[in-house]
Amino acid sequence: MFANTLFLASACLTIGGAIAVVYSKNLMHACIYLLASLFGVAGLYTCIGADFLAATQLVVYAGGVVILMLFAIMLTGGTSNKVNRFGLEKIPAMGNKKTFFIASFAAVVSAMIIVKILIPVLKQNPSSALSPNEPTVERLGTLLATDHILAFEISSVLLLGALVGAAVISRPRKEIHD
Amino acid sequence: MISLSSYLFISLVLFLCGIFVMVARKNIIAILLGIELILNASALNFAAYTKFLNNNLEGHIMSLFIIVIAAAEAAVGLGIVIRFFQLRESIHIDDASTLQN
Repeated sequence: MFANTLFLASACLTIGGAIAVVYSKNLMHACIYLLASLFGVAGLYTCIGADFLAATQLVVYAGGVVILMLFAIMLTGGTSNKVNRFGLEKIPAMGNKKTFFIASFAAVVSAMIIVKILIPVLKQNPSSALSPNEPTVERLGTLLATDHILAFEISSVLLLGALVGAAVISRPRKEIHD
Repeated sequence: MISLSSYLFISLVLFLCGIFVMVARKNIIAILLGIELILNASALNFAAYTKFLNNNLEGHIMSLFIIVIAAAEAAVGLGIVIRFFQLRESIHIDDASTLQN
């Protein structure tokens, strides 16, 4: 009962947040709706017993990525130059009717492709007997430290590279005058 | 109610919203929001298949690495966006046309 309620609430939050990201005209509001959608995905993780994954989703996405994006929006906001460098009026940054039409076309095409792929998958109807949820942290830690140790180390190097790269890229360069 | 097909449907909706945002928006940060939606859809799929197909947690490992890589991608992408804003005073995607032609 409680699991079904949590699942319904999380699914509504996820889908509603994603659709609100599509239709909001304000970038800051879109980022907050994305935060709601990520909270919903964390609830969906909880419903299928992925406790560590739900906690990581909340910590990394809600605590890290969305805050980073809010800071980037605030650091780059406030430009409303409506013309490009040729003096022509350009498409508004959040899209207009034409881009929305093309995007809906692309979404319909990819939806048809994915549904075409998914129908035989769903017809196989894998084992519907749900195993009970049990804590996954210990098994995940064992798997990460034994079977997937190479990917684990490589991802740590990737994170270090991303950190240094982001700091180097976004650093303001001083002109040297002599 | 909690079944594989419902999870696949939610993941499909997330993926389509991500595609829509990536194509429709002309703002670089909004396009990054769409990429985050798509990465979440794929991570949710991995976790759902772990639960409903075999319970051997390989999908959880894949979801964890997807989350890690999404965080790294967001950091580097936003660094590029801020640098681009310092150079061009704009975050419109049509202003990033130096490599065209």
